[in-house]
Amino acid sequence: MRAPRGGRRVRRLTAAALALLSLAALASCTGGDARQQPPGADPPRIVVASGQDVTGKNGVRQQLIDAWNAREGEHGHRARLVELPGSADQQRSQLLGALQSGSAEYDVVNLDVTWIPEFAAAGLIRPLTGAAVKEPADIIPSVDATSFWDGERYAVPFNSDVGLLYYRKDHLRDAGASRTELSGGLTWGELRDLIDAVNDRPKPPHYEDGWTTQLAAYEGRTVNAVEAFASAVPGFELTDDEGRYTADVAQLTAGVTELRERTAPPYMLAEASASREAESLSAFAEGRTTFLRHWPYVYPVLYERFAEDLGVTRLPGKAVLGGQNLAVTSSTSEQRAAKAAELIAFLTDPDSERCLLRAGFAATRTSAYEDPGGSPECRHASAFTASPSASPTGESAELKAPDRLADGVSYSRDVLFPALRGAVQRPRTPQYGAVTRTLITGLDALYGPGRPGDAEVAERLDEALRKLLPD
Amino acid sequence: MSRFDPRGRRNRALLVGVSEYDHTAPDPQGVSGQLPAVLHNRRTLEDALHRGGVFRAGEIRVLASPAPDDFTSELRRAVRETEGLLLLYFAGHAVVTDTSTHKLHLQMRTARVVAGEELPGAVSFAGVLGELCAPESRAEKVLVVLDCCYAGNAAAIWHRFEAPPESKEKILLLMSVQPNRCILGGDADVATPFTRELVHVLEAGGQVWLSTLYPALKQRMADAGYEAEDNDRQKPQALAPPWNPDADVLLAASPVAPPPPPPPPPPRPGRTHPSRLRKRLRAAADRLGRTALTLLLALVATGAGGYGLFVLVGEPGPCPPSLELRVLTDPDLEPALRAAADAYVASAANTTGDGCRRSGVTVNSAGAAGVVRALGERTDAWQQPREDDNPQRDIGPQPDVWIPATRADVDRVTGVAAGEDRVFARLEPADEPLAYSPLVLAVPTALGARLEPTGQSLSELVTALEQADAEAELRRPDPEFTDAALLATMGLQGERADARRAEQLVTRAGRPEPSAVRLLCTLPADDAVDDRSAALVPEFLLRSGIGCHPATRAPRVAAYPDDVPGLEPAFVRVRWEDGDRDAEARDDAVDRFRAWLTGEGGLAVLGEHGFRSATGERRLLGTRQVPDGLTASVRPAGPARPADMDRALERYANAHGPGRVLYLLDSSGSMAGRWDGDSGGPGILKQTLPGLGGEDEYGVWAVHGVGGRTHTPLLRFGTHERAGAEQALDGGRWRDAEADPAAALLDALEFMRERGADDERPQLIVYLTDGEDDNRLTGRALQDVLDRAAGAGVPLAMVSLNSSGCDQGRPATRIAEAGRGRCLDAGDDLVPALHDEVARTGTGEE
Repeated sequence: MRAPRGGRRVRRLTAAALALLSLAALASCTGGDARQQPPGADPPRIVVASGQDVTGKNGVRQQLIDAWNAREGEHGHRARLVELPGSADQQRSQLLGALQSGSAEYDVVNLDVTWIPEFAAAGLIRPLTGAAVKEPADIIPSVDATSFWDGERYAVPFNSDVGLLYYRKDHLRDAGASRTELSGGLTWGELRDLIDAVNDRPKPPHYEDGWTTQLAAYEGRTVNAVEAFASAVPGFELTDDEGRYTADVAQLTAGVTELRERTAPPYMLAEASASREAESLSAFAEGRTTFLRHWPYVYPVLYERFAEDLGVTRLPGKAVLGGQNLAVTSSTSEQRAAKAAELIAFLTDPDSERCLLRAGFAATRTSAYEDPGGSPECRHASAFTASPSASPTGESAELKAPDRLADGVSYSRDVLFPALRGAVQRPRTPQYGAVTRTLITGLDALYGPGRPGDAEVAERLDEALRKLLPD
Repeated sequence: MSRFDPRGRRNRALLVGVSEYDHTAPDPQGVSGQLPAVLHNRRTLEDALHRGGVFRAGEIRVLASPAPDDFTSELRRAVRETEGLLLLYFAGHAVVTDTSTHKLHLQMRTARVVAGEELPGAVSFAGVLGELCAPESRAEKVLVVLDCCYAGNAAAIWHRFEAPPESKEKILLLMSVQPNRCILGGDADVATPFTRELVHVLEAGGQVWLSTLYPALKQRMADAGYEAEDNDRQKPQALAPPWNPDADVLLAASPVAPPPPPPPPPPRPGRTHPSRLRKRLRAAADRLGRTALTLLLALVATGAGGYGLFVLVGEPGPCPPSLELRVLTDPDLEPALRAAADAYVASAANTTGDGCRRSGVTVNSAGAAGVVRALGERTDAWQQPREDDNPQRDIGPQPDVWIPATRADVDRVTGVAAGEDRVFARLEPADEPLAYSPLVLAVPTALGARLEPTGQSLSELVTALEQADAEAELRRPDPEFTDAALLATMGLQGERADARRAEQLVTRAGRPEPSAVRLLCTLPADDAVDDRSAALVPEFLLRSGIGCHPATRAPRVAAYPDDVPGLEPAFVRVRWEDGDRDAEARDDAVDRFRAWLTGEGGLAVLGEHGFRSATGERRLLGTRQVPDGLTASVRPAGPARPADMDRALERYANAHGPGRVLYLLDSSGSMAGRWDGDSGGPGILKQTLPGLGGEDEYGVWAVHGVGGRTHTPLLRFGTHERAGAEQALDGGRWRDAEADPAAALLDALEFMRERGADDERPQLIVYLTDGEDDNRLTGRALQDVLDRAAGAGVPLAMVSLNSSGCDQGRPATRIAEAGRGRCLDAGDDLVPALHDEVARTGTGEE
């Protein structure tokens, strides 16, 4: 026997009842959400859909949601996290399909930054007012730009992400390189010189080539391509604010050339052309390269592996932004939407962002980076309030990678934060899925047999993109 | 509703023009006068439609001034005959009655105007709608064009009209004037203004869609300044579903002029946000003036009901976001269907006239038995996930289309669902399978020569294999995961009383592979194993290849058992309760995908992937040449029977008995930050408990402490109610201490060795850690664990919350290898994978 589906019915009745009651409240100018609950009903729910996260972020999202629920109290709204599959393709498929058809109900959705234009243009998420975001000026501008479409805010950045460069100080030292401490940044020319230095000496054990990255035929290739294109052409953008195509063959040619030079032998590990995140991380962890382009979340893991031999710095040239933004669905009621906006404001407020930073995410707010390791810190998520030395065994809730790099340089303040601030977006268009597929396929030529000229690759890309995007 | 091109379908146009009336003024019961202009209406519209090419010769019928009975019988006939577009045009006198509801009556030749309820010689518009919505109507779309007084009142009548949505919503209305306005009869020498302009737009050349016709018609009428009564401008109206930018119908397609620019997506009333809408309103007002603004506001006002006035912002825009189709299939079929979906998405069938993609298709797969259970008894949780039951995460997106490897799965679901109070997903299987692929015994070529390729049962083939080479091994993927493996299991069990005997035929080292592709990819890792292993797999893999080790893989030939049903992938539409927000568009997208998949394009892809025709001789699709090792013509075994599949699965599970699982949960201080929530240590273990049933024995050790005691029991080892086990995990705490993983693992191996001494029940040790204490897993300590794990016969699943915990050479990786278990780290899809490991050992929840 199964219990009748009380939850759903109660929830709907409650919503309807609340809607009526809220009209009454408007008329009498009294009353608040919580007190209007019919006695005995379940607390009204706010359903938050988000991809499964077991990347070692310590359940910080759940903790933040728990903190909001605690603040709402017994009779307030209750936010509930519904986890979606770990694969981004499956997340997108379910979120789109469910919001278009109504096959599942979500009030808040956690969207990859590249999906915002698509969901906004399709009317699946709604424009947000100031109620959904606290201190918007505190959000890093480049990061906050991912929240807008057609001039309106549709989302609030939850956690960000940006490409970083990891490196082996011991390799550089053994090669007698002029610099072994790169946290101040470097150019691609300098990077090549350093690789030459390592290549010229007896090679470190297991070492094969200078650097590795993600160039398999998936999103990673688009990310690397956009980084090369944006580095080669100042101010490069494939699309404007309204998703119109703004590039030309000359720009694309320069971009393709840059990408080809970066990824040519003897600098790049050949297998990078078939690598994703996991493979590139393994190659670097196995000592097969001196440099690695990757995301911030691998910092603790790599530090654990290499300790003081590991260095991390900004990518030379431009880096691409990743991350996820929270949005309110169009299908939810006005009343729930208002509460959902409050929830988003809480989950993305300066305190929450400090917790997210401590858990290993790239925080979206300037204030989170201002006083690394200082206080007051993260009150919303208890596991992240303790300071690293609180435990006698030296083990703590935080992942163990030092914020303090050489010469008083702070990882979060001096590497991650400027990387986020200077980061570029991938093309912003409701057709993002088709655009990224076009880039991935169009750049196949660079990594397959045949090897056409850069201009030829660029012309074909230009033609395909023009077909796809409005002028 | 979708953009509908009726060409090539059985269409009908019924053009009714009443120019002559039997009773006219000054007869007190007569209508106001004859309508000579309507003569021209009939003729010019008929010509325009002929030239338009959508209606073929014989598909346009003109009724000149009919009596009501003639009108009704012709209308019924047209309704019966139409399979594509039915266009009903009426021009003549019309009146409204009932001052509150403004009922509209179309007056035929015999019309008289008398007091009372009855209106002799007239046909009520509600009655016309009744005919159009008749159950026998097979028309895909109906367009009603009214050129008469009060034509605009038809929209409100449509709104109030009660009929099944599927018949009502296929009706579109084009009306000559706004509600409650009469229009003038026009000039005797030419058609009436509305029809005149309508004909003009229809004859503009190229493709004329309703969405382009309407704004053009409005614009022309506004420019000409036609007037209705009371000196009001005459404003044509349209009623069509505006929620879908594709909602449209092709009305003419003469090869004269280039096609007009594509229509913009109409705004979506009720779901368009005020500020965006205001912006659009402003834009529209700039182009079309106050008229459009008024209309757009009217749209906002009436849109809440789902239908509104058709809107029109004239500039071609970018492609609207496409509709997303979620397709779920069997793991063995995923590569072929993903290729098919990719080809479909880029095909002309999925492209609109404007070069936009109609839909996106994402193909996922999940274990077949789990899907059958989920569609049968977990649709509630699938739609509204609960903390302890979340198929959205564990299985994947709620499918719009399910393609199981055999139609029998649909009946298995229905069987399970029959025991449920309510199901929240309804299945609508297509009648015919998409393709066919027999289940074969894929035998290394050297051994294959000694087997009869056809005409033997699976038992006979297995016996022959043993006789051919005593060293030969039989391999099969996991019957819980793929239907092919389950069908093979049915063949192995045959009439045997003891399913365990059947299972003993199969070589099983650790867990079975989750798909046939994975099995065939794993075998070549050891050449000797590859050379002596026969695999039970679907035939198509022998032709399509499996994309791994192409050079080193042992070539195989197929032996076709005559008692094992083959794969017959079935196309099943899945409808979710309340998932009807875009019902028509989604139906249309599904129908298009299915039509393509069963048509030339789809069969070509399936042919490339090695499938055979679903019917007839079951020939290989797309090739005349039979590849080496395959047989040209195969007589299919009987169809898979649902009850047999369920029974085989149950016997398979029982053969492996209730299991024993010992969880070791790292509870040292470093776990503090990896403790809470679904992705914390206890949370992850909790999510694997559904894999264990009431008869399975399991327990949890909290691992902490060095020197002396290595752990404390968090859940005693034995059988448990799930709630109790969850409670125990909830009560677990991390300690401010370090841990000694090597000592704890040695204790666990010894513990399980003692328990498993007297039987062959499946066992598993799960060790979950953040790897912080790996420094104690080195040198001698590690070697001891490796040695003991290798000889223990208990698989060890090592779970690392560190994303590189399972990199090559790491302790967890080596221990898992030695213990023939899996190493899972945060870089994997950890929770489902661990759940599967546990479920393989346990009997699962009831």
